[in-house]
Amino acid sequence: MDAKQREIADKIKKILVEDLRLPEEDLTDDAKLFGDDIGLDSVDSLEIIAGIDQEFGVSMMGVDREHFQTIETLSKYVMDNLDK
Amino acid sequence: MNDRVVITGLGLTCAIGGSADECFNNAIAGKVGIKEVKSVEHSACYAHIGGEYNEFVTPEGEDRASALCIKAATEAVTDSGLDVSADPSRVSVVIGSCVGGAVSIEKFYRDYVADPGKASGEDVLKMPISAIANNVALKFGAQGAVDNVANACAAGTMSIAIAADLIRSGKADAVIAGGSDPMSSLAFSGFHALHALDSEPCRPFNKSKGIALGEGAGILIVESYEHAKARGAKIYCEVLGSGVSSDAHHITAPAPDGEGMQSAMERSLANSGIKASDVDYINAHGTGTPLNDTSELGAMLRVFGQDGKVSCSTTKSMVGHCLGAAGSVEAVMCVKAIERGIVPPTVGYTEEDKAAMREKAGDFDFVPNTGKQRKVDYVQSNNYAFGGNNASIIYAKEGVERSLAQPNKERIFITGFGIVSPLGNTEEEYAANVNAGAAAKRCENCGDYISAVGKEDFDAVGIKLNFYRKLDKLSQMTCVSGKRALANAGITVSDENSRKIGIVAGTSDGPQTDIANFQKGIIASGTQAGSAFLFPNTVYNAAPGYFSIAAGVKGYNVTLSNGAASGIAAVAFATRVLHTTQNDVILAIGADEDSETVHMLYEKAGAIAAGMTPGDGAVTVVLERESSANARGAKKYAEVLGSGFAHCPTEFGKYGCAGKLKEAIGLALRESGVSAGDIGMVMTCTNGVNSLEEAEKDALADFAGAKKVSVKALCGEGRAASSALSVAHAAMMLGGVIDGGEGEYALVLGASVGGSYNALVLRKA
Repeated sequence: MDAKQREIADKIKKILVEDLRLPEEDLTDDAKLFGDDIGLDSVDSLEIIAGIDQEFGVSMMGVDREHFQTIETLSKYVMDNLDK
Repeated sequence: MNDRVVITGLGLTCAIGGSADECFNNAIAGKVGIKEVKSVEHSACYAHIGGEYNEFVTPEGEDRASALCIKAATEAVTDSGLDVSADPSRVSVVIGSCVGGAVSIEKFYRDYVADPGKASGEDVLKMPISAIANNVALKFGAQGAVDNVANACAAGTMSIAIAADLIRSGKADAVIAGGSDPMSSLAFSGFHALHALDSEPCRPFNKSKGIALGEGAGILIVESYEHAKARGAKIYCEVLGSGVSSDAHHITAPAPDGEGMQSAMERSLANSGIKASDVDYINAHGTGTPLNDTSELGAMLRVFGQDGKVSCSTTKSMVGHCLGAAGSVEAVMCVKAIERGIVPPTVGYTEEDKAAMREKAGDFDFVPNTGKQRKVDYVQSNNYAFGGNNASIIYAKEGVERSLAQPNKERIFITGFGIVSPLGNTEEEYAANVNAGAAAKRCENCGDYISAVGKEDFDAVGIKLNFYRKLDKLSQMTCVSGKRALANAGITVSDENSRKIGIVAGTSDGPQTDIANFQKGIIASGTQAGSAFLFPNTVYNAAPGYFSIAAGVKGYNVTLSNGAASGIAAVAFATRVLHTTQNDVILAIGADEDSETVHMLYEKAGAIAAGMTPGDGAVTVVLERESSANARGAKKYAEVLGSGFAHCPTEFGKYGCAGKLKEAIGLALRESGVSAGDIGMVMTCTNGVNSLEEAEKDALADFAGAKKVSVKALCGEGRAASSALSVAHAAMMLGGVIDGGEGEYALVLGASVGGSYNALVLRKA
């Protein structure tokens, strides 16, 4: 993860901690957000989409679920789609 | 048996009109009232439509929920010719609402964000759902039971079912019943965040992508047949049985199998003593969300078949989804359908749609586009809500055959407790702390009495992080309290008993903290940026909804809200539910939270200056039928003998006339068959506010010999948590768990701002 992606990943982590009341210590970059690790659901994904839209101006509505897997995949998608 | 309950008056205001007749005439003509929303800023939203009634302007200084409700109630009371003043103690008010004072909530937080000093205490008193029924009682002078039903989108139907039960149990002659909800940024933004709004007018059961929000109030005068006959009232129709169930599946989404919906429909038929094939018309919930419509259609087809004998429509396609008012708006439509012999349509169906519907549902009749004349003897009206709550009720033409389920006369026992309080998070810890004279936890800066639940509590009751992280404090305390109560009572929830275990929750202020968090988010970032995560927590029935999911409890599920006495009211109400429904066990839960927000609201309202110290907690009292308790050899702590309530029409925020507490006590003693001299202990309801102390002193003149115990002196004014704790504490004293119990009988008192008083008598088991 380069510095730019790191910065994005940290902002996404902040969204997850503040908006979804997740414990920061559980949020490693590769923790499976929707799997057994964290256990997010469809309402949480709406909140992530809204948070990312607001923070980065990147719309993830309708985007493939593979990009929602981890903080790493989310931050990569955001980085690749910034300023598009 | 005096079980005939009739409707004698109607009042309705919604997107298609300002009276019951105007609305119904427009409905049968298929008129759509859904258009661009004016009262909510939605320019950056993906959806812009809803069903407002802009012809009605909220009078200056009033809240829209109460104002709409009083408008419809005035129409209904006038229509019925009911003279409330003839015997005001026999007239009750039961009003359903979802967002309550949401318009005032928005105003308050807009002012607060701009300048905390500017936000007004008068607006605080318009915020809670509790205010609505109190305002209606004040307007018409009703002095019987006054209650609000806070089960989100099922509240309107439940309020009418509860009104009928009040009459059948002899507690009222007439009830002003229904529901009210305004268009609000809170609801618009919340459903928008969940992507549950449709950008086009909804076409329920068909191509709809979501709901159109509505607003309005529907009020019905529900009355005993004898009372109506004696005064020569016009009788529109009868109210037969009802059914309430819980999905225990998800906080916002219905269970895909529709089993809970089906259970509610089947219970309302069974409790009316009629068959599915008797039903002529179903007013479906039919919100327009794909999840609701798929589950509901499946359930209806299983119960009613596809042969097309029953007509089914959803009037939400014209008026929008009026949330807590929906069931009552639809009730008025159902009653008019019976009166006129015409059923209203579901609108928006094209020929192509109709063909698609035939594929899905055979000959099932959705009454496309215009009303239809037909025999309308029996009508079923159904509503489902956040929290997985399902409600169904039957209206029928006067005098048609029916065989109502008869109440059982079983004794009701308290067989367990779950206590989350500033004196401990288990019943054992609470009792030990009380016996040891330990001091309760208090907030260092503000002095409030504070409960706190944490990881160790959730671990102990088997609730995982991915569940409890979503919960606000009210829901967290409720889940821990409820789970511990089941364990304390020795009840294991299984497929066999899950539909026989129900919940009656009481809360004064509901989830005010997450309501504030959600509303402040919209104010900061716009209606389009509402939090999908927070929105489910803003409904008052979320806490018991979460608990039903955590515990797998699928029986009755109603949330009452009427001030601090809501906890004791929940216990009294649960006792009646056990007498009249299929439930063996009801968990009566009183819960209220404290937080910086709640403290600020009480400060603004002037309660803290008046002498009240806020507290919080969640207290569950397990109530059980004697047959069920005996069958499983349960420990019985106390028996609930009787209850009484009385209301003094009072400006919301004040306690009102002293004599009414005395009246409530007298009613409770009479129902229990005991006299003042028999009472060994009195659980008091005073909270440091002078006017209430004086009222209580006066009311307790005959109880000089009884021991007085105050849980509020131990744990602060925890509102519904305190009044439920009073019941639990008394039962634990009678049962010997808490030291110092005296005598065979305890009297428990509750008081709410707005003028409602409750009393309950317990006997040592």
